[in-house]
Amino acid sequence: MYNITINSLPVSVDRNETILEAARKIGIRIPTLCFLEGHAPLGACRACVVEVEGAKTLMPACATPVQDGMKIKTNSRRVREARRMVVELLLSEHNGDCKYCERGEDCELKALAIELGIEDERFSGERLEPALDDSTPALSRDAAKCIKCRRCVTVCNEVQGVGALFPQYRGFSAVIGPAFSRPLDSVACVQCGQCAAVCPVGAITERNHIDAVWAALDDPKQHVVVQTAPAIRAALGEEFGLEPGTLVTGKMVSALRAMGFDAVFDTNFTADLTIMEEGSELLMRLTRLLKNHENIALPQFSSCSPGWIKYLEYYYPEMIPNVSSCKSPQQMFGALAKTYYADKIGKKAEEITVVSVMPCTAKKFEALRPEMRDSGVQDVDYVLTTRELARMIKGSGVAFTELPDGQMDAPLGLSSGAADIFANTGGVMEAALRTVYELVTGRPLPGENLQVRPLAGLEGIKEASLILENVKPEYDFLEEVEVRVAVAHGLGNTGKLLDRIQAGKGDYHFVEIMTCPGGCIGGGGQPRFTDDSVRQKRIEAIYKEDEGKPIRKSHENPAITQIYEEYLGAPLSERSHHLLHTKYTAREVVQ
Amino acid sequence: MIQRIKNSEHLEKISREYTAEKNEQSILLCAGGGCMASGAMDVKSALQDALKQNRLSIPVKETGCMGPCAAGPVIMIHPEKIVYERVSPEDAGEIVTTHFIEKRLLKRLIHRNSASREEAPALDSIDFFKNQKKIVLRNCGRIDPGKIEDYYTERGYSALANVLTGMKPEDVVQAIKISGLRGRGGAGFPTWMKWEFTRKAEGELKYALCNADEGDPGAFMDRSVLEGDPHSLIEGMVIAAYAIGAREGFVYVRAEYPLAVSRLQKALEQAREAGLLGKNILNTGFSFDLSIRMGSGAFVCGEETALMNSIEGHRGEPRPRPPFPAQKGLWQKPTLLNNVETYASVPAILMNGPETYAAIGTDKSSGTKVFALAGAIETSGLVEVPIGTSLGELIYDIGGGIKNGKTFKAAQIGGPSGGCIPKEHLSVPLDYDSLAELGAIMGSGGLIVMDEDTCMVDVARFFLEFVQEESCGKCVPCRVGTKRMLEILNRICEGRGEEGDIERLIELGNMIKETSLCGLGQTAPNPVLSTIRHFRHEYEDHIRRKHCEAGVCPGLVRAPCQSACPANVDIPGFVSLVREKRYAEALRLHRERNPFAAVCARVCFHTCEDHCRRSTLDEPVSIRGIKRFLVEQEVTIQIPEVRENPENEKRRVAIIGAGPAGLSCGYFLARLGYKPEIFEAESRPGGMLAQTIPAYRLPRETLAREVRMIERMGVKIHTEKRLGRDFSLESLKQQGYEAVFMALGAPENLPLGVAGEDTAGVVQAVPFLREYNIRGSVPVGNRVIVIGGGNAAVDAARTAIRLDAEEVSILYRRSQEQMPAYAEELEEALNEGVALRTLVQPVEIVSDKNGRVSGLRCLPMTLGDFDRSGRRGPKAAEEEPEFIPADQIIIAIGQRLDPKPVLGSLAVETRPDRFIAVNQINGQTSVPWIFSGGDMVSGPSSVVSAIAAGERGAVGIDEYLSGETHAFWREEWNNDTAYDPDEAPVPYPREKLPTIDVERRRSNFDEVELCWTEASAMRQCGRCLRCDYGKSPVRRETKEKEAARV
Repeated sequence: MYNITINSLPVSVDRNETILEAARKIGIRIPTLCFLEGHAPLGACRACVVEVEGAKTLMPACATPVQDGMKIKTNSRRVREARRMVVELLLSEHNGDCKYCERGEDCELKALAIELGIEDERFSGERLEPALDDSTPALSRDAAKCIKCRRCVTVCNEVQGVGALFPQYRGFSAVIGPAFSRPLDSVACVQCGQCAAVCPVGAITERNHIDAVWAALDDPKQHVVVQTAPAIRAALGEEFGLEPGTLVTGKMVSALRAMGFDAVFDTNFTADLTIMEEGSELLMRLTRLLKNHENIALPQFSSCSPGWIKYLEYYYPEMIPNVSSCKSPQQMFGALAKTYYADKIGKKAEEITVVSVMPCTAKKFEALRPEMRDSGVQDVDYVLTTRELARMIKGSGVAFTELPDGQMDAPLGLSSGAADIFANTGGVMEAALRTVYELVTGRPLPGENLQVRPLAGLEGIKEASLILENVKPEYDFLEEVEVRVAVAHGLGNTGKLLDRIQAGKGDYHFVEIMTCPGGCIGGGGQPRFTDDSVRQKRIEAIYKEDEGKPIRKSHENPAITQIYEEYLGAPLSERSHHLLHTKYTAREVVQ
Repeated sequence: MIQRIKNSEHLEKISREYTAEKNEQSILLCAGGGCMASGAMDVKSALQDALKQNRLSIPVKETGCMGPCAAGPVIMIHPEKIVYERVSPEDAGEIVTTHFIEKRLLKRLIHRNSASREEAPALDSIDFFKNQKKIVLRNCGRIDPGKIEDYYTERGYSALANVLTGMKPEDVVQAIKISGLRGRGGAGFPTWMKWEFTRKAEGELKYALCNADEGDPGAFMDRSVLEGDPHSLIEGMVIAAYAIGAREGFVYVRAEYPLAVSRLQKALEQAREAGLLGKNILNTGFSFDLSIRMGSGAFVCGEETALMNSIEGHRGEPRPRPPFPAQKGLWQKPTLLNNVETYASVPAILMNGPETYAAIGTDKSSGTKVFALAGAIETSGLVEVPIGTSLGELIYDIGGGIKNGKTFKAAQIGGPSGGCIPKEHLSVPLDYDSLAELGAIMGSGGLIVMDEDTCMVDVARFFLEFVQEESCGKCVPCRVGTKRMLEILNRICEGRGEEGDIERLIELGNMIKETSLCGLGQTAPNPVLSTIRHFRHEYEDHIRRKHCEAGVCPGLVRAPCQSACPANVDIPGFVSLVREKRYAEALRLHRERNPFAAVCARVCFHTCEDHCRRSTLDEPVSIRGIKRFLVEQEVTIQIPEVRENPENEKRRVAIIGAGPAGLSCGYFLARLGYKPEIFEAESRPGGMLAQTIPAYRLPRETLAREVRMIERMGVKIHTEKRLGRDFSLESLKQQGYEAVFMALGAPENLPLGVAGEDTAGVVQAVPFLREYNIRGSVPVGNRVIVIGGGNAAVDAARTAIRLDAEEVSILYRRSQEQMPAYAEELEEALNEGVALRTLVQPVEIVSDKNGRVSGLRCLPMTLGDFDRSGRRGPKAAEEEPEFIPADQIIIAIGQRLDPKPVLGSLAVETRPDRFIAVNQINGQTSVPWIFSGGDMVSGPSSVVSAIAAGERGAVGIDEYLSGETHAFWREEWNNDTAYDPDEAPVPYPREKLPTIDVERRRSNFDEVELCWTEASAMRQCGRCLRCDYGKSPVRRETKEKEAARV
């Protein structure tokens, strides 16, 4: 332990702590912009500078380790003036009009400027060149607003291992962006939107579908249905001032209805369906391998997360055969809404508009994939992120927190608890095991609350195994088989896991991959700012939702039973193959 | 085939074998980057051919840089050390026949010392070399960098052998500690501490790195070592690696140094082959290998963490420190990083003993430092001197002084991270701490010398532009802050500077220094802050007066001559009008800004000519000569434009003093319709023009004509009205004068301050001259001594000669070059028989028994350290005092103002030097209705400065009284004279004005200078390059007004 003083207060701190950590511990706020918890400090923005006795210059609190006897001032005149000037300089290059910026309310730069009492422009000069890049379906980047804090660079490179964004050029011409300032769609960006989730200003955001959705809602000829992903309900409340982890499923349904959606459905329904299809696919692969001794690609990878799919297509195309052919729940929903549901209400596919609310920006890209038109038209028309939905709710004048709890519509709004946990890392795996285990053995998955403990939590790569015993006679080839599974979230971890598998060091049967840290609850379209403590709270809420459901297993969802009976026949049937499964294609990293 | 060295005895044996071979006669050819660029390799083959033709088997060896790069290609004949410079391939034959066959010096190619102009054939006789102390560059220019054996002969690798066989790592660190070596990369961190930290850091894997990413504009010492003596770097690095326990190392060098890279690469291979690098060095079991990493020339990669990022393959950007490289450096392993110069010093330190090294330099900074001299210096190139050598010694004793006889203005030390040092500090010892005190840094040793033609704001802008372009853009202060500073500097240089800009620059600069991530940002504002510190008036001139005196900033400069003229006379305008024989228009144009055309044609110190751009081609245009011709063409004086104004006519303005400032103020007020009144203490108007400038320089009638012109414009002059005797400032106010312009000059004489000053026969120069000029006679001795070096001294001496003194001598305590008197006046004085004795200091005036002066006791002086005037100060020589007999002594050492008696009870603010403090733009004093200008404000200065001050005062008074500026003569003016820009400049030389014969000058005061013929004047006018062409004149005073209002 070191003994230091901060603003004359004596503090005992661990040797490895930084000044920022030490100060936060005793409730002293030091502003930061470039700092990203859990990552090596960059010391780029200089907003966190403090005065350290004996040091010639001011020191960045985020990057300076404490030393015994250090005397620190975080709020001296010298510090305040330096911070103020740093932010004034940032404002002087920032070329954004706050009046028209979607970050109006939660812009960190603006907030800091207010905090530091900046009221007029003292250092005017050349501003950044406006350079809007909306080449991708999911993301929109405006280099003119970029403050070069490089949080996006950190998440893109270190968390996601994608490396689509990095600093280039020098001096005032320095920019953050894809190589050679090319448009984002010309590089291997997976459009996960983690960059948008960490951007402190309005420089990176999702491509906005709000106006299009309003237009569809206003169109009397269109029957507009909405599906909401499982991760929304645990996070949407944050946009309305509620604590992270507050479940707002019922209020969300009411709000959507108030906004004029003709039917409010749940992506959870197709999540359950995904389990049926993906579980069956896994059993089929196991059958062909263990019973028929065919050469079949294993492990099977989950396929719900579109960022992951694009990542695989870019970086591991040789493993495409391993991915489940199942479409993501969003796309299954779109295909069924415009076929099965359309039939039910007597409409044509063209007359139905499917809107998704997703925690994800990559879903916007996924909806536009040319493969996703199995209903004959584009299966999912518009994708709203959680943030966009919140803006729409605010724009529609609904007092969200006062709303009564509504109910999802049947049949596409009914789901099991297993579908809820699709929202977090390990959830798809757990949901699949609940069904597959019961299908194979006839008994419920062992373990408290149907949970597979090793698969929960925020560790980057998790693995588990269970031995199948006393299986049903039709699965006798699985008797005594140890089923090994693994879970990875965040593409950086994913890359590590895939390398391990390719090196022959992971003999798994089934692997769940989530693009974003924490899974969909930490998606690129979720309310800002998402750190691990927020992720944990959202996960806890999701499990609460799961546990509160009367039905906790996908195969027990009566609506699922019904759709197979009425429409699809059986899992992996021809119709499900047509509507619920797809193919993937290798992509060139550099075009 | 390179032999593998077994041990130190083996090394010694091989080196002895090669020494004999090396001692044979040879031609050493500088193959440094500079000489290569000027054709050294062609010289080499020409020399080889010539030797072959003459059947001489003298080898021509390539060496590294010898230093005097501007004199390249350079060769040195070994072993007699005869240097030939500026050798071309055509000279080769002559060198071989003259030097080697006829055994004579080829005088045409030998060096001449610039101070003495004496021939200096041998290395040791050349100022540039003999005043250096070479340790880092000990082998550069002496050995063939491509031969490891050459290095052996200079005891190369013997230090390494001693270290590996006889010293423990901690002993090595201790030795470096004793030596006092500090990092030569810039910051001067004690080298041993870095070594000790890295040695003690935990970790099996450690690295030793060399920073050869030399990025400072103008600095190239690292390159020279790599090119000229790569083994000394390798040896230094292996020793360092042994001391810290590293097994692998890298030299990070910029790819723009291909020659350095290839020579280092070759040296590495040789060292490896010789067993001096790589596995099991000298069979001691110690292994260390080195390789080269090339950077792409980013300045920031000289910063240690950015350099390591770059070696690791990442973007060259700094990372936060701590952790320091000694703990977590390259690939997070303990890493030692020193620069080339530091490592190259190490073998020499260990070879000769650390104590020997520590004895060189100063207490806090031992050893030597290499500087790259560049800019306006006679001999540019690389020099190595003991730390603590003064800046003045470096520039004058080694560099040979300022080029083209210009004056030194400032030196920029330490590149873009450094600062400017002005002439007041030429005596600063070049060591880390003294430089830091002045806001500069030693840096890597780039030293750019700047003369009077340099605009310091422009210099600051140049460096800041460099830094802004080289900033990595990572941290906000450096990326945006330097941009904002640059924008401010740009607008100042373009004439759009605003009040508060200097303060903004200081605020931004200090903040950037405090908050930037790395050394680049933390030092980026230095050039700006240091130029503001030492040259703040230039910034103010740019911002307030929209004026760039050096004539550099394009937005402010129409023509450099015009910018240099204090009165802003449109020189290209009147010169081109003269060329078209439009004399009346030319005079009118001149008098738009300066009424005293005829006076200035005789007495102006013509700073316009010092800045004439024609001098870059041959010599300046004789502008004063043209003006003299012009004024001779005037038959009757034309009254310039006067704008009648009944309002102004009613406003009463008093001017005190009818010198050039007062008269000029009256002239310009009259042009605005005022009827000002001038009160003059003496019986004749003209001030110093009438009282002290002798008639042989300025005929009385010439002055009188221009004074009459002013009177005819409505200015009333009351003579023999002395302020404090006949009236006071308060009484003027009571009489209804609404504004007063004070221009009393600097009438008090500075005393000599020696015993006997009140002896009969001792007079002050100004009263002496005044008495003769006003009253027509003055007592003159037979043996006259004039003490002083200014124009008054020369005028007094020449007057005394004319009044038939037998012997007249001027005594000056400094050297002739340092005399402030105009060189041409002094030259005429000497022609007329005045004797000049310099470097003598009067100590006592001796009187005879009658109490009359009998002579002067003087102390011989010699030139010592540089003083605050930028000149070497005189100091007593170790010689006996000398007695010089004289019957009259005239003291002319300066003038001052005693403001108390003249100001009365009014609280007019004065400066510490007791001259009057005014607003520089309008001459207003701290008492709003009192304005002032001329010598009374500036101290003794030039006539034209006083004229300019009078004009400013007139505009200021007009604005004070009317609330508006009506100065129509300041408005834009376009010359309609013909000029063909495609025409080649006419080849005529500069011409001097003719003078009357010296014999005809005694006993009379006839004007000495004569006028040109029309043909001469036309030729001279044709020489003008018309810098004004195509540029619309700056409407500078309009902006000035705006600035003044802020």
